[in-house]
Amino acid sequence: MFNIAPDHAIGLYFGLLALPLALIAIRLHPARHRVPGTVLGASVLMAISGAIHLGLISTHKEEPITALLFLMNGVAYILLSLAFPWRWWRPASASLLAATLLGYLAYIAAGFDSPDQVAVATKVIELTALGLVLVPVRGDLDRRMWRWASLAVALPLLTLVTASTVWIVDLARPDPQHAHAGAVLQETNEVATAEQKAAAAQLYAETKAAILPYQDPRKAFADGYRPGGPSNMPSTHWMNQAYVDAGYVMDPHRPQGLVYANSKHGPVLLGAMFQMKHLGQFGPDPGGPLTAWHQHENICFTPFGFEFSLMTPFATCPLGAIDLSVAPMLHVWIVDNPKGGPFAVDIDDEVVKSIVRA
Amino acid sequence: MPFALAGEVFMLGLGIASLLLALATCLLAIGVLWRRRRARRWVMALEITCLVGSLLLLLLPIGANRGPVALLTNLALPIAVLILLRKQREAFA
Repeated sequence: MFNIAPDHAIGLYFGLLALPLALIAIRLHPARHRVPGTVLGASVLMAISGAIHLGLISTHKEEPITALLFLMNGVAYILLSLAFPWRWWRPASASLLAATLLGYLAYIAAGFDSPDQVAVATKVIELTALGLVLVPVRGDLDRRMWRWASLAVALPLLTLVTASTVWIVDLARPDPQHAHAGAVLQETNEVATAEQKAAAAQLYAETKAAILPYQDPRKAFADGYRPGGPSNMPSTHWMNQAYVDAGYVMDPHRPQGLVYANSKHGPVLLGAMFQMKHLGQFGPDPGGPLTAWHQHENICFTPFGFEFSLMTPFATCPLGAIDLSVAPMLHVWIVDNPKGGPFAVDIDDEVVKSIVRA
Repeated sequence: MPFALAGEVFMLGLGIASLLLALATCLLAIGVLWRRRRARRWVMALEITCLVGSLLLLLLPIGANRGPVALLTNLALPIAVLILLRKQREAFA
């Protein structure tokens, strides 16, 4: 959802190219002074959306139905963007925009495509254009009531449905590089070789031996590890800022973080966490697919309660939260983690719960 | 708001605050359509705040999203609203 699909990138270039052309076309249009600015704005946005659709035809030639739909959509948008003096322009434009939005949602819900930045940006443009098309204008009293109703109810509802559908589809069908919501895995070979298995086992043994003294949380505290976040959660990451700043790379004796389960009898050590210093800089990967690092991207973080959530498809976070990404990390779980293994992105919730209950 | 179900209770409060702000923004938009001067002032203040916040997030090295959607939602739309409202000062009562 936050990437640009290679076959969609050309749509973005077409859209950017269409912006100055649409502005020039509107400026040269003889009827431009007879309509309100909202109509001109909607025309420009529809021209951009039309150009994006037309641009996508070239990369979808092997999908004839999709290419034909792009062609019809693109041509209809371009024609309507120029036909704003037409009496039926508003109903025609509103219908086309709503049908395109709903058609796209049905398309991704059926699994024919995955949402990406070009598609979501186009939907933002179309929703904005729809809003401008529906704005009631003076001197058009007989239709103002339904336009107010559409603007106040239907448009927010359509925005909500669009964002929810894109989000649900993205979370339900993540691409192979997304281990779970918000985490991007390092690219590796698919199956671990014998050498990689041995290297992973060595890393595990060295890390486990090095962090066992930290089963006593007082020792961890004395060595500079500090708990972060709320203590009412099942587990807490304790970070050593000096080791983070020093930038040690996968040093079993100096892991940047430790993970503890918050049991009734105090913290119970679950594992270690290595972290790189910079975003996008994945660490060494001796175990291939077994020790792939992961980077948390597009997280909404709030200092209120030190909590996290995910950014919406329209790139917004809740009020009071900011969008951030965290440098790549690799966990080494020293307790049994049957679902994902010793280097999994997450530890099994059931394992943590059983330790907390014990 | 779904994250509140996973124990992120503060997110529930922030989610509700966001929805209330969205509702207030809708009402301000209606005020702008009715050519109310006060609504115009509030919208301009809101958009400037959003723009400054978004620029800060983009400039700070915290890995904020810089994709087309983020640029469109957080920069292009507030700038467009500010330009449109700035030009029409005399049209507001």
